[in-house]
Amino acid sequence: MTRLLTLLLCLLPATALAFGLGDLQRRLEATPSLEGRFAQTRHLADLDSQLESTGHFRYERDVRVVWTLETPVEERLEFSAASPPEVGADDRRQAEAAALFLDLLQGHWPALEERFTLTLSGDADAWRVTLRPRQAALRQRIDEIRLRGGRYLKRLALDAANGDRLRVRLFDQRPVEAGDAAP
Amino acid sequence: MPPPDTRRRLLAALWGGLLLGCALLLAWLLRDGLPADTRLTAMLPEDRRTPLVERADDQLGQAFAERFVLLLDAPSLSEAAADLARALQAAGGERPLLARLDWRASDLADRAPGERLAEARYRLLTGAVRREIDADGGQALVAPALRSLFSPTATTDPVADPFGLLDRWLAARDTSPVQTRDGLLTVSDGGRPQALLIGHLAASPYDLAAQRSLTAVLEAFRADHPEATLSRSGLVFHAAAGARQARNEITTIGLGALAGLLGVLLAVFRSPRAIAQMLLPLATGLLLALPLTLLLFGRLHLLTLAFGASLIGIAIDYALHLQCRRAVQGREFRLSPMLPALSLGLASSLVAYLAQALTPMPGLRQMAVFAALGLAGAWLTVVLWLPRLRLATSPATARLAQGWWRRTGPRGGLSPRLALVGLLLVVGLVTWRLDTDDSLALLNPSPADLLDEERALQGLLGRDTGRRYLLVTAADEPRLLERLERLGTTLERWRDQGADFSVHNLADSVPSPTRQAADLKRVRRLYGEPLAELVARAGLPPRTLDRARARLEAVPLLDVEGWLASPPGRHQRRLWLGDTGDGVAALILLADLPPGAGAEALDARLQALADTRPGVTYVDRAARLGRLLGELRGQIAGWLGGALALLALGLAWRYRGRTWRVLTPPLGGVLGVLGVYALAGVPLNVFSQLGLLLVLGIGLDAGIFGAEAEGRAATWLAISLSTLTSLLAFGLLAFSATPALHYLGLSCLIGLALVWWLARWAAPGVETSPRESAHVETP
Repeated sequence: MTRLLTLLLCLLPATALAFGLGDLQRRLEATPSLEGRFAQTRHLADLDSQLESTGHFRYERDVRVVWTLETPVEERLEFSAASPPEVGADDRRQAEAAALFLDLLQGHWPALEERFTLTLSGDADAWRVTLRPRQAALRQRIDEIRLRGGRYLKRLALDAANGDRLRVRLFDQRPVEAGDAAP
Repeated sequence: MPPPDTRRRLLAALWGGLLLGCALLLAWLLRDGLPADTRLTAMLPEDRRTPLVERADDQLGQAFAERFVLLLDAPSLSEAAADLARALQAAGGERPLLARLDWRASDLADRAPGERLAEARYRLLTGAVRREIDADGGQALVAPALRSLFSPTATTDPVADPFGLLDRWLAARDTSPVQTRDGLLTVSDGGRPQALLIGHLAASPYDLAAQRSLTAVLEAFRADHPEATLSRSGLVFHAAAGARQARNEITTIGLGALAGLLGVLLAVFRSPRAIAQMLLPLATGLLLALPLTLLLFGRLHLLTLAFGASLIGIAIDYALHLQCRRAVQGREFRLSPMLPALSLGLASSLVAYLAQALTPMPGLRQMAVFAALGLAGAWLTVVLWLPRLRLATSPATARLAQGWWRRTGPRGGLSPRLALVGLLLVVGLVTWRLDTDDSLALLNPSPADLLDEERALQGLLGRDTGRRYLLVTAADEPRLLERLERLGTTLERWRDQGADFSVHNLADSVPSPTRQAADLKRVRRLYGEPLAELVARAGLPPRTLDRARARLEAVPLLDVEGWLASPPGRHQRRLWLGDTGDGVAALILLADLPPGAGAEALDARLQALADTRPGVTYVDRAARLGRLLGELRGQIAGWLGGALALLALGLAWRYRGRTWRVLTPPLGGVLGVLGVYALAGVPLNVFSQLGLLLVLGIGLDAGIFGAEAEGRAATWLAISLSTLTSLLAFGLLAFSATPALHYLGLSCLIGLALVWWLARWAAPGVETSPRESAHVETP
């Protein structure tokens, strides 16, 4: 009995140390609403040129992300996990892309694991998740997605199969209280 | 003047040899299984069939046959769906139930549109894009293109497709209500997401093992997840329901009838041996009819087989009459006095059936030949074999015959005048009130709740089994696409004017070469000023412009084959019939019609539209099959009427003044059933009419034997047994839940009861022929 207890006690710190996807998700979920700024670079391999944009964002967990472009054009984009009646069937591809984007921002691993193999490294303060498509069909579009962060998600990198690279940096992030007025 | 015994023996041996040959032939013909045919249209004459319409019908039905759809609603949808999917994929073990199961988002999503579409994209514009370009050259398309370039979810390629033309076009093609959610395929019913599972069967939907294993999986799932609700769509469920119903009815109605039948025969003959002898003619009749019909027609229609079985009712008559007479007369029995009645009975039935062999309907011809051969075979066995087999007679049979005769025997009492008045009354009633029904519901044995489920699910999925369509033909593909386009424009106008239906048209996805050329011209306009503005505002290098424009130089045409081969085009394969020998053909499917009068009005409009356009045929499959059933019914009735008239003449020649007595049971039975139907408001259909054929055959035998035997107890017993056994075998089918069997049974139930009652009334009364008394105490 004592030996068993000792064994268990010895194991305890080890399990506490191992930082899993579940822990990460719980940590990210602790912030229901978040706003901040972004800088995005899209490298077009075919043209060997960059499309750069900046702006601010605000997201409400499980609801939507409002992505407001400031440069080079002013546009307000919204990605929502809307139920089908709100998203017409005529923009299914966008709806799917939006759902993927939301899942990535929120660290919604169970949904992502359907389509990607996930590898987590690092610890709670500096973690890194790499996603590789499981299905051949998705591999034709995406090589790899990498997420990095600490308290919040800080960087999103997407390498497309055709050589295009998307890099998104999120900064000046702060949680939004439930009472704060929506933009 | 009996023929010498050696001659009879020789004939009996010959008959045995012939049957042996038939058995060998049958074994050889069935070496690869029974070549059965279930198509209703196979019953039609060759020149009346429309092969193209049939090809279209087959193609439309195929998806429904090969696949099934399950819709799952449960509180924890993901877990329940995964459980169900696992169980379905594991079903069948060594011989898996499914060839494929689509249920995860990834099973259908992420399908690249394919090379052919990517190349042809500059020729494919949605209506909205076309209007924008026509309005101002496409300036208004710049802003959305910019937005999409800078979106973090961008899929836009600034060289290949800076305006996202292909994405827009594909999105407009995609009308499926299926969404992906939490990794599942879902359909939303009033805001509630439900998981969708699409199974592709590895075996035929009629495969009993497949049906069993699917049913078992669903039952186990329901037991494990009482909180979940499942709805089903697909032929396999209807086939399984039909098979289950048939099994239930075989065990209840079938076994009940068999037990009753054997009970009655045992009570009368007190000898299992006698009953076995009674069944021998049946077996030999089938043994003669099956191989010869197969040899003549190549394959056997299932309706023939179903009706051929009802032959039993008439074939057993001869045996009953012979055995009753033998049982009552014992040693004094001679075949020769019975021969005229037996021969007349056979001849009359043969005339009735062979009349149908003259119809232009190959299906009816087959049924007639089958029935006639079966009857002839049974008759030969009765005449050649049965008298040679020793019959263990029981004195009880004779006593029973006497008792039955005293209690229920014919009392006469029907006068020709009374018969005529009755006849006129019933004919008047029938012509005044009798309705007919040739609806397809008769052929559909599915329970109502399964049909409701099917309808609800198909409505939710925006699919249908393709009941109405326009069949369009033309000399070549470009001309066909133009025809389809023009029809599409007309139908679109109707919809704008408020007509309520949806259209699935191949030309919406594969525009005619003319239209594709016009759209390419529009894209060239869009790639002028608007593209330059887009490139400048996005800050893309100027060489983007040249490279994008270079793509417009040699754009291939999208043809039907290319579209159907692409992943998004696969679901439209059912609309394409392809080469017809002298051109090409495609379908425009019409769905979601309003129920009732609205659909009928639209039917008339579509018919009128098809009549005015060359190469266009409007097909309402349900109505068409209904018409076929009606035609079948009409043909049977017409030829049967003719045969009856001929028979009446023949019988009048032999029976003179007594002819009406012979004709009263069969005619009265048939007219009586029609009268009851007219009074009760039950419409006549092809199956109730097939039942009337049986009533007619047994009624004729009853009439002839009644008149020939002039009131013998043995004959009366045989007539009673003949109607009673057929009543048990067929009348009980009236309690079947399968519409076709129910109506066949109902006719038999009413008709056979009437035949017996009329035979009793129309046969000469006991006082006119006391000859039977001479034989009473013989055994």
